[in-house]
Amino acid sequence: MSSESSKKRKPKVIRSDGAPAEGKRTRSDTEQEGKYYSEEAEVDLRDPGRDYELYKYTCQELQRLMAEIQDLKSRGGKDAQAVEIEDRRIQSCVHFMTLKKLNRLAHIRLKKGRDQTHEAKQKVDAYHLQLQNLLYEVMHLQKEITKCLEFKSKHEEIDLVSLEEFYKEAPPDISKAEVTMGDPHQQTLARLDWELEQRKRLAEKYRECLSNKEKILKEIEVKKEYLSSLQPRLNSIMQASLPVQEYLFMPFDQAHKQYETARHLPPPLYVLFVQATAYGQACDKMLSVAIEGSVDEAKALFKPPEDSQDDESDSDAEEEQTTKRRRPTLGVQLDDKRKEMLKRHPLSVLLDLKCKDDSVLHLTFYYLMNLNIMTVKARVTTATELITPISAGDLLSPDSVLSCLYPGDHGKKTPNPANQYQFDKVGILTLRDYVLDLGHPYLWVQKLGGLHFPKEQPQHTVITDHSLSASHMETTMKLLKTRVQSRLALHKQFASLEHGIVPVTSDCHYLFPAKVVSRLVKWVTIAHEDYTELHFTKDIVEAGLAGDTNLYYMALVERGTAKLQAAVVLNPGYSSIPPIFQLCLNWKGEKTNNNDDNIRAMESEVNVCYKELCGPRPGHQLLTNQLQRLCVLLDVYLETESHDDSVEGPKEFPQEKMCLRLFRGPSRIKPFKYNHPQGFFSHR
Amino acid sequence: MEVFQALQRLHMTIFSQSVSPCGKFLAAGNNYGQIAIFSLSAALSSEAKEESKKPMVTFQAHDGPVYSMVSTDRHLLSAGDGEVKAWLWAEILKKGCKELWRRQPPYRTSLEVPEINALLLVPKENLLILAGGDCQLHAMDLETGTFMWALRGHTDYIHCLALRERSPEVLSGGEDGAVRLWDLRTAKEVQTIEVYKHEECSRPHNGRWIGCLATDSDWMVCGGGPALTLWHLRSSTPTTVFPMRAPQKHVTFYQDLILSAGQGRCVNQWQLSGELKAQVPGSSPGLLSLSLNQQPAAPECKVLTAAGNSCRVDVFTNLGYRAFSLSF
Repeated sequence: MSSESSKKRKPKVIRSDGAPAEGKRTRSDTEQEGKYYSEEAEVDLRDPGRDYELYKYTCQELQRLMAEIQDLKSRGGKDAQAVEIEDRRIQSCVHFMTLKKLNRLAHIRLKKGRDQTHEAKQKVDAYHLQLQNLLYEVMHLQKEITKCLEFKSKHEEIDLVSLEEFYKEAPPDISKAEVTMGDPHQQTLARLDWELEQRKRLAEKYRECLSNKEKILKEIEVKKEYLSSLQPRLNSIMQASLPVQEYLFMPFDQAHKQYETARHLPPPLYVLFVQATAYGQACDKMLSVAIEGSVDEAKALFKPPEDSQDDESDSDAEEEQTTKRRRPTLGVQLDDKRKEMLKRHPLSVLLDLKCKDDSVLHLTFYYLMNLNIMTVKARVTTATELITPISAGDLLSPDSVLSCLYPGDHGKKTPNPANQYQFDKVGILTLRDYVLDLGHPYLWVQKLGGLHFPKEQPQHTVITDHSLSASHMETTMKLLKTRVQSRLALHKQFASLEHGIVPVTSDCHYLFPAKVVSRLVKWVTIAHEDYTELHFTKDIVEAGLAGDTNLYYMALVERGTAKLQAAVVLNPGYSSIPPIFQLCLNWKGEKTNNNDDNIRAMESEVNVCYKELCGPRPGHQLLTNQLQRLCVLLDVYLETESHDDSVEGPKEFPQEKMCLRLFRGPSRIKPFKYNHPQGFFSHR
Repeated sequence: MEVFQALQRLHMTIFSQSVSPCGKFLAAGNNYGQIAIFSLSAALSSEAKEESKKPMVTFQAHDGPVYSMVSTDRHLLSAGDGEVKAWLWAEILKKGCKELWRRQPPYRTSLEVPEINALLLVPKENLLILAGGDCQLHAMDLETGTFMWALRGHTDYIHCLALRERSPEVLSGGEDGAVRLWDLRTAKEVQTIEVYKHEECSRPHNGRWIGCLATDSDWMVCGGGPALTLWHLRSSTPTTVFPMRAPQKHVTFYQDLILSAGQGRCVNQWQLSGELKAQVPGSSPGLLSLSLNQQPAAPECKVLTAAGNSCRVDVFTNLGYRAFSLSF
């Protein structure tokens, strides 16, 4: 077989190397149909089933032959068997060749089959691809269609003028009514046209306006520059005029600066400042007004309040957390809240009242922002250094020097009723505890600041009123001056009284006889509680004249064995309100106004008839005159005491006073009234 | 100004009282010369409020204290600083406070105007007797207003007067310690009792002055420096000495009791035998005058009023206790 195949092959090879001719080839193919053996063509002709049967048969034959050979070989005989073996060997070779052919045929069949499938598959794939392409295109087209359908032209976004307007306004060459009425497309086009026209026109206008604006801006710039160049010139003029101002005593500049700072004052302090300055300029040259404090802090107060509130709440939250851990910080937190509530405005107004004897009353007015009240701190400075006698300790103390300037105005309670509710929140009982630090909230201070608090209900908004301040300014200033002077006068008098000398000025000498034997031995202050516990002061206490705003003193007048105790109530409103004396005489028993009509008469002489003892105009001599009169009265009392016939011995006090009558009236009163200049005593 | 008014009230002394003829009003005179009229009927009524205890009207009657007052059936006569003035009750009640007339007795001294401490009405003779600082008793005819005679005898000023109706005689007690009886018709001194000379009643440490007098025709009670004593007039002997330490400034007979008041708060009620029946405290530390409202026209206002060293007049509706006080 191999030789056959190689034979077949060879001619094919020769032919291809030989002269080229496909045509020849094909011709030769057809010629060769009869000549050459083509296995491929043979495959188509044979039946695969029969080939399979042949294959099976051949395999069987081979097996049989092999078995026979085996048998023969095993039997052993050489010759006969060798031929048979050879025979069988040749047969098996033939079978082998058949097998080979069959194998080839199978291969060729396989190859053909594969080729056919391949072809078919390719076709199918091609169709498949085509289908896919088409489908894809369909989809694409559909999308395009939908896009086209959804397409909104930009022109629909423009708000065109309505149809009627359009036909009205548009010029006919644009609107083209005949055409557009029928055709919506044309209509829209026309409308768009018109829109474009309009927009062009408006754009023109806009450009014109812009250029106008530019021009005007430039003009403004020029003028501004002109003005700003003016300012430094004016300043220089002002500077130049300063020496002139000083020369003419009109310090406008200084005042101006003050007004500048005053702008930052809170309303009540501002009212006070304005009114005080006005009053000082108009009526009282001895009054000077100034503003103290930090303007920057005042400005800082006007920063947005929400920030500070947020901070506060944050810090409160933090503090609350910490208080859960440690007790003591609760008090600290409350303390801080209190401090916050009692906070003062950083600016304060300072008033200096100068009196005739060169002593100055310095008043500093503060404004408590959260409580909406004003407070004042007072200080008295004198031209010469004062040595304070022991009993005069409270006279000029900042705490009490302005107490009860107006009756009942003790300045220990806040005048704003609304503050009570605020205090309850932070646990402040009364402002009294903080008064030393913050200053006293007197009612007249509120009035000077124009703050008016009605008594009945609390108000949240309080109006600051200039007219209220103005009406009170003059009275208050006068009262303040009188107060300072009377306190200073008392101060001096106390120094003398403590030494046992009653200082009677020369213009009051006429009130008393020349010779006064009784002497003032002691002059001390006593406490309010001690005064109320004295047995001979019950009437005064019951009449409500011994409050805790008064000052109390004890004087002791002696003559011989007689001792007269006098308890004195000094009202802060001295000397318009007289001091009140209550007496207790220890001489031959204890005599008070309860058991002796004459003691009562003596008290009446000093307390009720005080107007004659006031002395010259400001009336500062009242207390000393009263004390001197007391000594005189004691003299009269002792000397006119009727002699007890049953007791031996001379009278202790011989009568030296000239009296018309010793007793008068049902009460048998002694002659206590001194008559000047005759110098005798009579009854009232 | 409040302090001054409070001081005035604290140092006020009410010296005299007088009941109106209708019995419904009480006049009180004080040491500032003011007279206040209180409405007793209003203060005693059941709807009395605080204002009812205040005066209806107060007016300045004299320059000096009003030491004594009496009422006739139409007039209020007040005296103090040397003058006696008359006021019409009807006018005063309508708050028209203008004096009707004023008279000054003829005084001897001119250096000082003596005070008039006591006024006494003698209704039968229509006389007003005044006595006071000049140690004399002056008699004034109420119709004509002339001073008819003056009785001298006292050596020191006269505190009090009392009328002995039967004779008629006037008793006067003075600073000189004597009680003198004067006959009104003859204008002469009839009897003199020098109280301080009697040991039972004299109290030298208090003095000898006679501050108060009351008489019940046969009997007389007087007190002051000496102790309060009941005297039998005809025999001029002290029968009962009342054990009262404080000098008495006013004494009066009432029914079968003797009421006295003076230094010390209380109104004392004595039996004629000398026993202290009751001591009713008032509101003033010392009392100077007592007034019994026995006007028949107003039986509902039958009260005892006491006044003295304060601005208050105590009203006793029942002699046992102080009901309330009227106040200037």
